Amino acid sequence: MPAYEFPGGITPPERKDRSNQSPLRNATLPAQVILPLKQHSGNPAIPCVAIGDAVQVGSLIAQRDGMVSANLHASISGTVTQISDSAITIDADGLDRWQVLPSLDWRSEDHQAIIARLDNCGLVGLGGAGFPTYIKAQMADHQRIDTLVVNAAECEPYITADDLALRHYPTEILEGAQMVARLCGAHQIVVGIENNKPAAIHALKEALAHVQKSDCQHPVSITMKVIETRYPSGGERQLIKKLLNLDVPSGGLPADVGVLCHNPGTLLAALYAVRDGKPLVERIVTLTGDAISTPGNYWVRLGTSVETLLQQVGLANQQLHQVIVGGPMMGLPLTTLDAPVTKTTNCLIAATREELPPAPNESPCIRCGACESVCPVQLLPQQLHWYARAENDATLEKFHLFDCIECGACSYVCPSYIPLVQDYRSAKQRIRIKRIESAKADHAKHRFEFRQARLARENAEKQARRQARQAQNRQTTDSAKATDSAAPMVDLRSLRIAQTAAKAAVRKAEKNLARAAAEDPSQRHDDLETQLATAQENLKAADTRLAEARATMAQQESP
Amino acid sequence: MSMMHASQRTTESLNTTPPTAHLMRWVIVATAPGLGAMTFYFGLGVISNVFLAALFALGAEALVLKLRQRPLQPALRDSSALLTGVLLGASLPPASPWWLIGIGVIAAIVVAKQLYGGLGQNPFNPAMVGYALLLVSFPTYMTLWSPSQPLVPENLWAQISGTLPAATLDALSGATPLDAFKHKGEAVLASEFWASQPLPEGTLNAWRNVALAWLAGGLLLITKRIISWHIPVSMLVSMAVLATFFYASDPSHFASPLFHLTTGAAMFGAFFIATDPVSAATSRRGKVFFGAGIGALVMVIRTFGSYPDAVAFAVLLMNLCVPLLDIYTVPRPTGQPKAQQHAKRGDSP
Repeated sequence: MPAYEFPGGITPPERKDRSNQSPLRNATLPAQVILPLKQHSGNPAIPCVAIGDAVQVGSLIAQRDGMVSANLHASISGTVTQISDSAITIDADGLDRWQVLPSLDWRSEDHQAIIARLDNCGLVGLGGAGFPTYIKAQMADHQRIDTLVVNAAECEPYITADDLALRHYPTEILEGAQMVARLCGAHQIVVGIENNKPAAIHALKEALAHVQKSDCQHPVSITMKVIETRYPSGGERQLIKKLLNLDVPSGGLPADVGVLCHNPGTLLAALYAVRDGKPLVERIVTLTGDAISTPGNYWVRLGTSVETLLQQVGLANQQLHQVIVGGPMMGLPLTTLDAPVTKTTNCLIAATREELPPAPNESPCIRCGACESVCPVQLLPQQLHWYARAENDATLEKFHLFDCIECGACSYVCPSYIPLVQDYRSAKQRIRIKRIESAKADHAKHRFEFRQARLARENAEKQARRQARQAQNRQTTDSAKATDSAAPMVDLRSLRIAQTAAKAAVRKAEKNLARAAAEDPSQRHDDLETQLATAQENLKAADTRLAEARATMAQQESP
Repeated sequence: MSMMHASQRTTESLNTTPPTAHLMRWVIVATAPGLGAMTFYFGLGVISNVFLAALFALGAEALVLKLRQRPLQPALRDSSALLTGVLLGASLPPASPWWLIGIGVIAAIVVAKQLYGGLGQNPFNPAMVGYALLLVSFPTYMTLWSPSQPLVPENLWAQISGTLPAATLDALSGATPLDAFKHKGEAVLASEFWASQPLPEGTLNAWRNVALAWLAGGLLLITKRIISWHIPVSMLVSMAVLATFFYASDPSHFASPLFHLTTGAAMFGAFFIATDPVSAATSRRGKVFFGAGIGALVMVIRTFGSYPDAVAFAVLLMNLCVPLLDIYTVPRPTGQPKAQQHAKRGDSP
């Protein structure tokens, strides 16, 4: 298959050979884990354990709050010792006892059961944004999906977690892809991988040949496309352009062009959740950088502190300049080594000063246009810089600030060392806050509607209980008189219509929220969550009323 | 936030000097062939121009920075003032007097650059502001393009120090090919004009070779990716197209396209002046319009205006149009709807 081109891009030094030379290893079990309640996009999870509770690996310790959120499970067996606003601490008992869910066969199991399993197991995208996988799997309800793209490009320097995962578990990852493809109704799977991972490509080829030979009743065709190494080919939009020559519309989602993207690590974890019943409690993390002596890729339990982890691999403290979470292009420097590994930690770089020196002071922009020629979205970074510094928000939006994918290619080439992406991020944040401010009145209105809906639902339930009691009384006293049955008949019909409408409203609210959250996974979407909750309350009320009417009907008919 | 930077893998020393300086210095290096050719044909006066202009430019920059209470080191090290000086020096007639150069530099560095806020803030090309001011204010001195000279002309020192008597000055002045052609008179046909040997032996040759030398330097900049091809190519193509049009319509009164491209400041302007990123349009499409506009203005002024050459005016006029060009040439980002839908939505910037 031919490869298509996205504009711009850069080829920074890869530095991947530091961590991809040794096989995948297991990190030592930590004595304590700190599990943040928010390791995913959306709302933090709500703790459902108490201090002193004994937990096993895989025990649910916090439940998702709202639709865009994810469950959280204990990653070691032991005792809950602390629950703060933001995290749950567990001290290990050293036994490593597991609590797994029953195995499901994804080839025969009902879609809803598998989606519920992904939800229960706290699956989120392991590539970076941490978007709940179960919502993505439901995309097919709203939109037609043709293609599942397995994003194995891993274009950022240093990171090799997907590379190693593909080398060690090629068949499992392909099976996970088959499973997700079945869920979303895709009829082809395309694996996109950069040509700097020959070992992973080889492993995938063998697995592909094996899969196609042994399993003739494969519903979905799998193709692998090896692409040239160029940052940021692993960006969702860039990869889709490169593999399928499709443009994801601005402000839209890959689903709008019939594509769903998944990271190989996510597919592996999804398979483990369904086939083995294992919740998401560990992940593969690349530990690299010049300040550690045995770089490589490790299976790490979530919540392990970065410091303990790096010490295991020979951290030289005096050489350490900074630890970066993620890659050097889009990652962030850690302010403290106490931070835990989370679901989205794909790489930790313990960098020396020589390897990633601090940027010199910026000098003025000379509008040389280097940034423009590397921008993969064809923006005008220098103009955005100008308007971002001037806080000219209207013009920023006209220059398509929100199409920026924050890949950092412009900052990488800027001869004046201007931290362009940082400027764009803060400008975006400023504009978002403004939007939220202006939508506050709406949000208050929606909260009021939610309250009304909740009261109505409670009333309906009360009414139903009363009705049930009365019916019972009537039965016992047997003083029931035949009331006119025409009215309830009409009622039943309109109630059914009301219930269907309420169901549709819930689906619509879910769709809106899923879209908004997928487009902007880093933000909270409180207003849409409220609207969804309102719709759900309305549905519950309608359900209750309908059930109640049906019960009354049955009562009247039975005597 | 990118923790890596392109400069880290090219040279270690770049960690101490900004890569902007790297760009500026490459442009200065690329002026070598052009300056060399000019020195060869017009004598050491070219070097004295460049040297004095560069010296004054650094001095003026330092002075203003001091008055503005800005740190001197980073601004002087970025070599932008040095470059402005070199370019202004290269565009003046050989062995210009020191005070002329001084006035030009003050207009360029102090007025056009620093008064607008320093590097990156100036809407006009500083060197061309200086040049245009001198051209308008001191036309006598600005047309002293003496024909081919020995390496060390007779009155070099007297010329530079401004002590040359006026009579000798007149004797020195010679017409550039553009000048001569401009003033050939309506009645004289082009063929008659050339047959009359209007210029001293070798003048045309000298100008052509100088233009070729500037072209060589410009190509070096493009291959080193210091400048993009958009502005020079669009400017030269638009000049060539217009010149061909005029020439084809009346070859007896208009000069050939080749003549236009190889005389005056066409090559120098296309590769070294119009490409100043600060005052040029930003998007690639905008740069094409910007370059084409300069080329068209140069041809219009050369043909119908009262100045024989017009690169400085054309560049400044197009500098004026940059904000407009920037607004109307915003590229369509990947995933944005195509132009017509855009216009329909009414939010086209």
